[in-house]
Amino acid sequence: MKYTLKITLTLFILSLFTATVFAQKNLTADQIADKTYNAYKCFGDDRITTAKMDIKDKNQKTIMNREILVVRKNVKNSSKQKWYAYFKKPADIRKMVFMVWKNPKKDDDRWLYLPSMDLVKRLAGSDKRSSFAGSQFVYEDITGRYPNLDKHELVKTDDKYYEVKSTPIKTSGVEFSYYYTWVDKKTFLPTKRIFYDKKGEKQREYRVEKTKVIQDFPTITQFSMTNLQTGESTYTTYSDLKYNVGIPDNLFTEAYLRRSPRKWLKYNKK
Amino acid sequence: MKIIHFAIERPKAIVGIMLLVTLILLAFIPQIKIDTDPENMLSESEPVRATHNMLKEKYEMSDILVLGIINEKHPEGVFNKSSLTKIHELSEFIYTLQEIEEETETTPPAEENSLDKEKIKKYKGVIKRDVMAPSNVDHIEPVAPGTLKFDWLMATPPADEKEALLVKEKLLSNEMFKNTLVSEDGKAICLYIPITSKDLTYEISTKLQDKVSEYEGDEQYHITGLPVAEDTFGIEMFIQMALTAPAAMVCIFVLMLLFFRKLKLIYSPMIVAMISVICTMGLLIATGNTVHIMSSMIPIFVMPIAVLDSIHILSEFFDKYPEIKDRKKTIVKVMEELFRPMLFTSLTSAAGFASLAITPIPPVQVFGVFVAFGILVAWLLTITFIPAYIMMMSEDSLKDFGMKEKAGSEKNLLMRFLQKIRILTGTKPRAILAGSALLFGLAMYGISLIQINDNPVKWFSPTHPIRVADKALNKHFGGTYMAYLSLTPNQTTQPDVKEISNGLNQKLEKYLNQTDSTAAIKVALTQVIADAQKNESEEKFFSALTDNLYDKADESETDGEMAIWEELTSIVELEVLSRNQLFKQPELLEYTLQLEDYLLKEGTVGKINSLAKLVKKLNKELHEGDEKYHTIPDNVSSVAQCIISYQNSHHPEQLRHLVDADFNGLNLWIQLKSGDNKDMEKTIASVANFFEKNPPPKEIKHEWFGLTYINVVWQKKMVEGMLDAFLGSFLVVFLMMTFLFRSPKWALLCMLPLSLTIALIYGVIGFIGKDYDMPVAVLSSLALGLAIDFSIHFLVRAREAMNESGSWKEASFSMFGEPSRAISRNVIVIAVGFLPLLLSSLTPYKTVGMLLASILLLSGLITVILLPALIQIFERFLISKKE
Repeated sequence: MKYTLKITLTLFILSLFTATVFAQKNLTADQIADKTYNAYKCFGDDRITTAKMDIKDKNQKTIMNREILVVRKNVKNSSKQKWYAYFKKPADIRKMVFMVWKNPKKDDDRWLYLPSMDLVKRLAGSDKRSSFAGSQFVYEDITGRYPNLDKHELVKTDDKYYEVKSTPIKTSGVEFSYYYTWVDKKTFLPTKRIFYDKKGEKQREYRVEKTKVIQDFPTITQFSMTNLQTGESTYTTYSDLKYNVGIPDNLFTEAYLRRSPRKWLKYNKK
Repeated sequence: MKIIHFAIERPKAIVGIMLLVTLILLAFIPQIKIDTDPENMLSESEPVRATHNMLKEKYEMSDILVLGIINEKHPEGVFNKSSLTKIHELSEFIYTLQEIEEETETTPPAEENSLDKEKIKKYKGVIKRDVMAPSNVDHIEPVAPGTLKFDWLMATPPADEKEALLVKEKLLSNEMFKNTLVSEDGKAICLYIPITSKDLTYEISTKLQDKVSEYEGDEQYHITGLPVAEDTFGIEMFIQMALTAPAAMVCIFVLMLLFFRKLKLIYSPMIVAMISVICTMGLLIATGNTVHIMSSMIPIFVMPIAVLDSIHILSEFFDKYPEIKDRKKTIVKVMEELFRPMLFTSLTSAAGFASLAITPIPPVQVFGVFVAFGILVAWLLTITFIPAYIMMMSEDSLKDFGMKEKAGSEKNLLMRFLQKIRILTGTKPRAILAGSALLFGLAMYGISLIQINDNPVKWFSPTHPIRVADKALNKHFGGTYMAYLSLTPNQTTQPDVKEISNGLNQKLEKYLNQTDSTAAIKVALTQVIADAQKNESEEKFFSALTDNLYDKADESETDGEMAIWEELTSIVELEVLSRNQLFKQPELLEYTLQLEDYLLKEGTVGKINSLAKLVKKLNKELHEGDEKYHTIPDNVSSVAQCIISYQNSHHPEQLRHLVDADFNGLNLWIQLKSGDNKDMEKTIASVANFFEKNPPPKEIKHEWFGLTYINVVWQKKMVEGMLDAFLGSFLVVFLMMTFLFRSPKWALLCMLPLSLTIALIYGVIGFIGKDYDMPVAVLSSLALGLAIDFSIHFLVRAREAMNESGSWKEASFSMFGEPSRAISRNVIVIAVGFLPLLLSSLTPYKTVGMLLASILLLSGLITVILLPALIQIFERFLISKKE
């Protein structure tokens, strides 16, 4: 386990190095998109963090807060992932859990646990573009969109960013017509992303507000999504983010939804 | 009189000055600013308006246009592939009806990211996100045991008839949509199209009309909603103005030609009328006033009054010229006789309108003041321009002018009629008096039947597309008139901290008893609560309590102990949250459901949408669609969890229209079956009644907003204001008459015909059940101003004639000559002249036309019948008093 990690890390740093110094011009748009996805959503074997969401109205006034324990685990030798979101605040949705098994080839499996009614609901359907808990993020923004769903073009390269235009291959089920990503040439993290609506007008802007290197991984710790057509926005801040803490598989099971992830709620206190 | 002599001596100078002033004011007319917003019937600072705007902002509401699609022919109504495909396409078209108005920068937060921040766009037109259409709403459905599906209700048009029926099933399964988006019979769908500003309604509805006119098929398309009615009215009003005002002019012109038979001569009153209108409107625009629905009627009101005096002059001139045979001498004689009555009739008419300045409604004030101004302009022109004009005509051109039929006068229909009246008033004065009294009594009863009501949709004639749409859609749906009722907390008393903490303590102890807690924890908890209780305000109590509980959790020695403290903290936090977020509380949601049921039974309301309805629906679908759960869950957390399930949908922001962001304001969407103000008033009363009989579980206050409500408010203000204005001007006119006649008795006499006229007009309105609406209210001032004219002319000259001849019997012969003819001519010219208004497609214009004709006919008749009879009876009393 540790060994693989080291290899991955070394490989990654090597690739970073190569990318920045030697192979800048030679990277294809698809390669950049893959690297971005990897840096953005896949680092480590697992990752745990506490996310604070500030949901703001068009006057930039915070109207709702959410505090969520977000856990992600990569399925070994696969591009599958498992996501677990446990709501800590506000008090009236405390213990609510949203769980996703992300599948590259078929619809994701999604569950919602509503504690006060003690209901576990499987969410059917392929729609990944509905709001995440009333925020400006759709849930695909949280779990990440597989790069192979889009066709990518490298539009521009300057000394700091790759500007990539991505157009969905299947247009049904998506509310945007394409999006542009400004990819940091050093970290391959997306720095800014603009979604265009079906009329070709700018619709939503994703921005990275803060990054930090955590356990050698360049990591986004604060980001925002602004609806450019209404002015409403959501700011998310990650705190106590840790990679490779050894999250067990049973956390991501239907049976576990009803249980409080006590151990993981206090991971930051260790 | 000096000015008249000047006009007679230097006619060209008068014409020159007149033209100059007119041209200057005419130059302002292109700067016209039209304002068709009925909200402006209330002044900007009006509290009701401030509340309306504040609540609109709070719930992010917009004005809504309604597009209804009905298919009566297909057995499944609109739920067939073809109709739904059109509806889908129409919705897509509707989304495009917006454009970027401006882009604003957002303040850049402190950040590391140096890439440009995008600007926020502000759109005008359709608010795409809030459009209510099958393709823009979510459908929630349990698809298998334990499995829930959230999806667009109709993302794509149905592929076949079976899918079309599925759309129907989905729509009807949602109480929020039934009777709002879809009719219960499945024949129709309504698309609700919110727009950024009311004044875009006409433009957008025209585009929609153009779009639907491309479609073939069995569907009917209807566009309605108050903003449509109001904006369309504003636009059509100006078209009507441009059609009816000239038509009225032509009618008056033709009639005058019939009476006076001198084309050249009758141009002059036309010129007076036109210039009066130009000057009035020019000044109105020059002074920066917008042309509102009311002020657009100024020309229609100024014209008859402007023509009135000129007709008196021409009528006299026509009668006297054949005797005197010198235009200068004739005009001097005529002007000497008419100067005083004309001055007073103009002053009284102007006073009648100027009195509108005391109403609390800005557009009515502007209207009153400028009509008054127009009347005075008309007066000035009449006494200067008419003599000047006559002087500028050659003596030759007048030579065959006048009473050619003097010898055979008995044959003249009008004169024979007047003679009959003279004989009648001479022989049966008491019967006339009794008859008038009886009529007055009846009129009073009629007035008591008057219904105060207005409805902008009824400003259109029944065949107008807006009226047709209104009827068709309200037949299928719960009503297309939206009124909004906002509920907010209204805490008047400070809650008692002891009471709160006792309630809370029970919940905490209940939890402790269910878990393996130790006695030590119980003791510690009691201490923590006691410490917190030292705070007097609710806020401080809770913050002290949570702080202490967190400390306890941190100090815990074991994981188990810590878990208990954390759980206790969250119970307290939930308590704080539910106390602060009033409308997550089940008992308040239940209460609004009771209110809804009550209102539906009262009859004026067809449908109500609310947060309670949404929560019920979600609760049911979360429980496998089980009807048993079509209720409000019994605790705050469950309500909150139903709501967050909804927030996981495509349009979580739409929740804002039902409840404000902090759940401290609830907005009920009330669909009224009619836009009649009286129905809205009834609904307001029902709600007030409900609150009185059923005190809410928490102190809350309710406030109305929305256009339907605004209309009621200004109507009420207008009716009260009009009454004040009318009574005020009645008094002013009476005082002026007393001054004119230097005798209160004569003044009183003068007021009688107009009082009877107005009583009869409004009595008839009461009897026939015509609503007392804005045009009817405003006409009371016109009635006063016009009706008094005839009495003044009649009485001033009757008194002079009586002074000359010594008795009424002698005087009556001359009184039923020239003066009565002038009055009759006036009546006929103006009454008939305004009949073209009846052809208008807008009801207020018809009303004005009808009422103008009636007022003139009645007041003319009453003047020549009632006044002679009264003079006959009270002759001695009147004369002796005078001397």
